[in-house]
Amino acid sequence: MNAAGLLALIALAAAAFWLGRRRALSLAQGTPGAARPHSRPVYHGHYAALCCSLPALAALLMVLAAKPLAAESPRFAAALRAALLIAPLAAGGAGLAFALRRIGVALRARSSVERALRALLAGCSALAILVTLGIVLSLFFEAARFFELVHWSEFLFSLKWSPQTAIRADQVGSSGAFGAVPVFAGTLLITAIAMCVAAPIGLFSAIYLSEYASPRARALAKPLLEILAGIPTVVYGFFAALTVGPGLRALAERIAGSGLPLAPQIFGSVSSESALAAGLVMGVMIIPYVSSLSDDVIAAVPQALREGSLGLGATQSETIRRVVLPAALPGIVGALLLAVSRAIGETMIVVMAAGLSARLTANPFEAVTTVTVQIVTLLVGDQEFDSAKTLAAFALGLALFLITLTLNVAALLVVRRYREQYE
Amino acid sequence: MSENPHSTPAAARRRKRRHARERRFRMIGAAGIFAALAALLLLLGSILLRGLPAFTQHEVNLELDFANAFGGGSAISADDAEALQSADYGAIVKHSLRRLFPDVQSRRERRQLNALLSRGAAFELRDRVLANPALVQARPVLRLPLSDDADLFLREGGASRARPESERRLSDAQIAWLDALAADGRIERVFAWRFLSRGDSREPELAGLWGAVLGSFWTLLVTLLIAFPSGVAAAIYLEEFAPKNRWTDLIEVNINNLAAVPSIVFGLLGLALFLNFLQLPRSAPLVGGMVLSLMTLPTVIVAARAAIAAVPPAVREAALSVGASLPQMVFHHVLPLALPGILTGTIIGMARALGETAPLLMIGMVAFIADLPSGPTAPSSALPVQIYLWADSPERAFVAKTSAAILVLLSFLMAMNLAAVLLRNRFERRW
Amino acid sequence: MERLNFRGSLLSAAALALALAAPAAAREQIRIVGSSTVFPFSTAAAEQFGRSTKFPTPVVESTGSGGGLKLFCAGVGVNYPDITNSSRRIKRSEVNRCAKNGVQEIIEVRVGYDGIVIANSRKGVRHPLTKEWIFRALAKQVPVKGKLVDNPYRRWSDIAASLPKEKIEVLGPPPTSGTRDAFVELAMEGGAKAIPMLAELRKKDKQRFKAIAHTIREDGAYIEAGENDNLIVQKLEANRKALGIFGFSFLDQNSDRLQGNPVESVLPSFENIASGDYGVSRSLYVYVKKAHIGVVPGIQQFVAEFTSEAAAGEDGYLADKGLIPLPAEERRAVRKAAQKQTPLELQKAEGKEHPQ
Repeated sequence: MNAAGLLALIALAAAAFWLGRRRALSLAQGTPGAARPHSRPVYHGHYAALCCSLPALAALLMVLAAKPLAAESPRFAAALRAALLIAPLAAGGAGLAFALRRIGVALRARSSVERALRALLAGCSALAILVTLGIVLSLFFEAARFFELVHWSEFLFSLKWSPQTAIRADQVGSSGAFGAVPVFAGTLLITAIAMCVAAPIGLFSAIYLSEYASPRARALAKPLLEILAGIPTVVYGFFAALTVGPGLRALAERIAGSGLPLAPQIFGSVSSESALAAGLVMGVMIIPYVSSLSDDVIAAVPQALREGSLGLGATQSETIRRVVLPAALPGIVGALLLAVSRAIGETMIVVMAAGLSARLTANPFEAVTTVTVQIVTLLVGDQEFDSAKTLAAFALGLALFLITLTLNVAALLVVRRYREQYE
Repeated sequence: MSENPHSTPAAARRRKRRHARERRFRMIGAAGIFAALAALLLLLGSILLRGLPAFTQHEVNLELDFANAFGGGSAISADDAEALQSADYGAIVKHSLRRLFPDVQSRRERRQLNALLSRGAAFELRDRVLANPALVQARPVLRLPLSDDADLFLREGGASRARPESERRLSDAQIAWLDALAADGRIERVFAWRFLSRGDSREPELAGLWGAVLGSFWTLLVTLLIAFPSGVAAAIYLEEFAPKNRWTDLIEVNINNLAAVPSIVFGLLGLALFLNFLQLPRSAPLVGGMVLSLMTLPTVIVAARAAIAAVPPAVREAALSVGASLPQMVFHHVLPLALPGILTGTIIGMARALGETAPLLMIGMVAFIADLPSGPTAPSSALPVQIYLWADSPERAFVAKTSAAILVLLSFLMAMNLAAVLLRNRFERRW
Repeated sequence: MERLNFRGSLLSAAALALALAAPAAAREQIRIVGSSTVFPFSTAAAEQFGRSTKFPTPVVESTGSGGGLKLFCAGVGVNYPDITNSSRRIKRSEVNRCAKNGVQEIIEVRVGYDGIVIANSRKGVRHPLTKEWIFRALAKQVPVKGKLVDNPYRRWSDIAASLPKEKIEVLGPPPTSGTRDAFVELAMEGGAKAIPMLAELRKKDKQRFKAIAHTIREDGAYIEAGENDNLIVQKLEANRKALGIFGFSFLDQNSDRLQGNPVESVLPSFENIASGDYGVSRSLYVYVKKAHIGVVPGIQQFVAEFTSEAAAGEDGYLADKGLIPLPAEERRAVRKAAQKQTPLELQKAEGKEHPQ
């Protein structure tokens, strides 16, 4: 019904385009020497199409907006169904008639069409704002409902996370504690492990590629590194859950059985979904984010600085450590911040390879949970938009959004300031 | 004049130390790259190793006896379409297998024997008979799939034979039957066409990826239809029309931020806005595409802006100087020149959207969907979601299927990136 | 160029049309939600149904029994599921909720049994359990020396000397899961009843008894392992000291890696569960929205397929997947009731859980 209506609308607009253009063509073929139309015929076509489709679309949307009222009475519903077809047609027809009457030598069709075009372009650029707004609003409203049920201080400071409350009156679930500290702590632990992997490897790769590698090696290694960024995260998750997790566990068991002092205490209870496995794999995933951004930053350090240092007799590594890196430091910090933000928001790896138990621990061999894992667990399966359990996911989502937003803005500012320094 | 300070033994030692440090530093740098590449190799290697076998599967050649399937002569007529449709093909298949092992008598044994064949064998037989009714007159020898347990046993080369019977999926008798079938030369390892041409199934030996591929296709189509026009339009506005003021500054910061928002947050938006508020259907590629298009939008905008900015000002000035209006200049001259760059960026954005899973989990695309999706509103899964689903399945044979599905996904991504690179090399102009 | 621009707007308009058209479209295929325990059976039946009939294959989503019933009860119309699977019986509160949202007539179909097993890795030691020990190991509060205290047991051997000297570590389903409901009712409550002090309490204050018997400890010994039972299997294989609680079908699928632990000296096996000897088993249900029959095509035929002898019978393909069939007589009764579309009346069948 709706699809048919809209297709009819498109057909109407196409017809209007054709009519308008023909009308303008007939104008242009008037007697030689007479005044020529201001705009070319296509613009008149577009003008007619716009004049026809915009009112029709507006009428259609208005009728659709009135749709909820249809539930009130069946007669109204029938009238609405009729209006759904008639109103747009009528509005479109009227618009078309208006356009055809106005098309003439003096009509500045191109200016009108271009104004409309400009408005459309501006609208599209505002879409980005709308998306952000949509995210903020949808997260904010649900989170606000959550904070009506659970006090924000409990969410932020309480140390117990046990959100699986009973969903029926006649059921006994868990007590329903919504202290997000262990969840954030788990996220931080995994992120820290990931950064321990990605920061040195990514940074040293960037240094080697931009300062030492021959152009050929660079042309080969750089795209290979970028492949790491292109692999879907679900693939990393599978890899972490099936290869790295059990592998680490087997390794830990071997060490525990090796008879080294303290080994059994440390390695005896390695969980197969340890924070370590998820963190390591996530670290591999974000290597290219660190390396390619740092690479850009290092390359942007003016050559004169290097030449000055080398000219004073410093070795290349001394130049890099004492001159290039300090100069590039703000940019590198920005790159690391972006990588951290990426790691915090990463979902699939932790969903597949990290655990569900919200434990407050700094032991990388234990299983921890993360913000994204909790969001997925709370929302996949049963949802109830009036219980704290489901709404908690949106509170976590809001927190996640705000944290990554802060990191991104900070990173962007740092990088921007750094760029300005050398421009 | 005193001794040259640079040729004392102390200086030589210092120099040596500095050079050693230089070498070490350089080695650490190279080690960083090697570590990253080794991780890549390990990842791809482990997946290749696991996944490649899943592109083949074991099938058994059975002589099908339509005439005696029902205990004496009540054969089906090739002309009777109704009978052909509703015949008990399961019984025919089981009977044909049992004829090879006449001493299998007890019910328990018969069930074990039947379990060697895939549950899909009867349906495949039906489909073949319906396509070619003449089969029922003959005693055709047809190749039918083995069950996942039998397939896995054969694929591992019988590695589980050594374990006690209680610790493996196949019983001693089943292994003996498989050995007998193999000794008869009835078992073949063939390319698993089903894997590439069928929808999902609960039986690993029948499960296919095509449904997920189609689902991804519809999803990406919706993403492209939304993200490409609006992204390019936004880029044009920001590069060519927008005044430099607070508003455009805000838009810019916004776009940069959106590009770094975690994908799961887009999933939350999709759940709250598209499913709860607009009441769009669950599990539909349409909704998936809409969510992914919001996610891809910043990528497209950034790429398109870069491509438009790379068009030299001379082109613009030339157009304006012969009297083109601003929109004419943009649409007639700048945009066509920027198009290859825009397309390259769009393809890369699409590739990212293809691999994205988390937002799709939020909108109910994690479901068992066996039929091939027929359009953007039909329920369907998508490639990465299928991988996630299979990774969680209890049947062991799905591990290989998952890896194989990853290989398919990666080859799609590779193809898209390759297309982007080719496009760039072919059309990109350096000014 | 103008043409290109025009075509672009045509395409976007078509996309918009598709977007707006979506909610109005009727639904062709059956939508099933619900229990992850019934998921393997339901998907197998759905697949068989899709292949052997002209109807499209139903779409099955695994949401947990509680979540499934919630979605199911949300209303009548193509936006709501037609069928929900449940690994426990529908509760009165849920029937009321359904009725409030206009879902008046629900058809209940009992498809078979599933034992709830307490299993661990084959490499681990067997725990010969009793219901009382299960209660003592997992309850939040247990009676010690005549007083209710927070669960003090850390190792299995703290409860009974015959149990292994290992940390109590049990992976089990969250409260949304029907398995959890059934486990709590059958094992925990059964165990609590075996303790004289609580049995005494039960006579006096039923509510209080229930609260004690049903509340599971939250100090880390019981680990909620998500809705998806498959993951538990993988985790148990990795951690041989842990026990896991899940449906028999998962044990059956993984019998080469996992072993079931005997409860009251009965091992969870196909025969023991079918005969009712194994104490912790429950019925599996499928609930059908009567209002959708005739609206969404194929619902009745799908239910017929699910309850057919070829599926739910003793040699049926669902039995191969681990479903334990009902006794032959009951299967006939269920099939008949499903054919007649007899709507559910809760009082009628209450207490007829298992042929003990």
